[in-house]
Amino acid sequence: MLTQGHYLALSSILFLIGLFGLLFRRNLIVILVSIEIMLNAIIILFASISYYTKDTSGYIVVFFIIAMAAAEAAIGLSLVVLIYRKLRRIYSDEITFFKG
Amino acid sequence: MSWDLLIFYYLAIVMIVSTVLAVFSRNPVYTVLLVLIMIVHQAFVLLTLGSDFLTAVQLIVYAGAVLVLFLFVVYLINLRKETQLNIFIKRFSLSFIIFLVSMFFLLKNLGVLVALKPTFPAYLPFDLEKNSNTWWIATYLFTNYLLQFEILGVILLVAIFGVVFLIRKVREVG
Repeated sequence: MLTQGHYLALSSILFLIGLFGLLFRRNLIVILVSIEIMLNAIIILFASISYYTKDTSGYIVVFFIIAMAAAEAAIGLSLVVLIYRKLRRIYSDEITFFKG
Repeated sequence: MSWDLLIFYYLAIVMIVSTVLAVFSRNPVYTVLLVLIMIVHQAFVLLTLGSDFLTAVQLIVYAGAVLVLFLFVVYLINLRKETQLNIFIKRFSLSFIIFLVSMFFLLKNLGVLVALKPTFPAYLPFDLEKNSNTWWIATYLFTNYLLQFEILGVILLVAIFGVVFLIRKVREVG
């Protein structure tokens, strides 16, 4: 019997894996990919709530999240390209631009 | 074991394994491709949650646009030193402790979360016997959520202008 708990467990595990990647990787692109993983976990959460309570608003929130993720990826990747063009490095602990 | 459980376990195991491999892989190209596998399986998780429209949107927007953008940037920025550098040891212990503690508490209290039942009626109820899921999403998106939809269009426009503004070549003056 498939319950909402299965989807909640899958969503929370994926969110924590994404958080882990966000915390311990140093590559800026991988950090952005980890943010995408966390957004996908939230998508599963909203869709499962919407399916099990028979409410459409969760699906609409999922639609909004996907569109926002596209905008966020575009802005974030352009910032990464800008940092690489200015400093020639992409690891987050080597970027000491504001420390002087 | 019934079919829906079997399909769910297949999708969940592939998603979790590919995500863990993506976070731990050294080459960013492999990371993006493994996340692509995860996103295709997640589209089918959305299909098991009864939304064919969101499956199509997920496949087109995420797998078709966002991850291709990531791949372009990975190829644009040439990372030769990634394979030699030891990048995993540095902050491993602290983030792994955070991961384990939060995972422990979350899975311990998952039963409480699942047992919670909503006491209020559904805000925008749908009925799949009457109309398809796409029909319900379109109906509520263009009536109740129309203002938010318009704001979303403005946000995407601002994102496009912001990217063009950030990436343009700055001409040195004086």
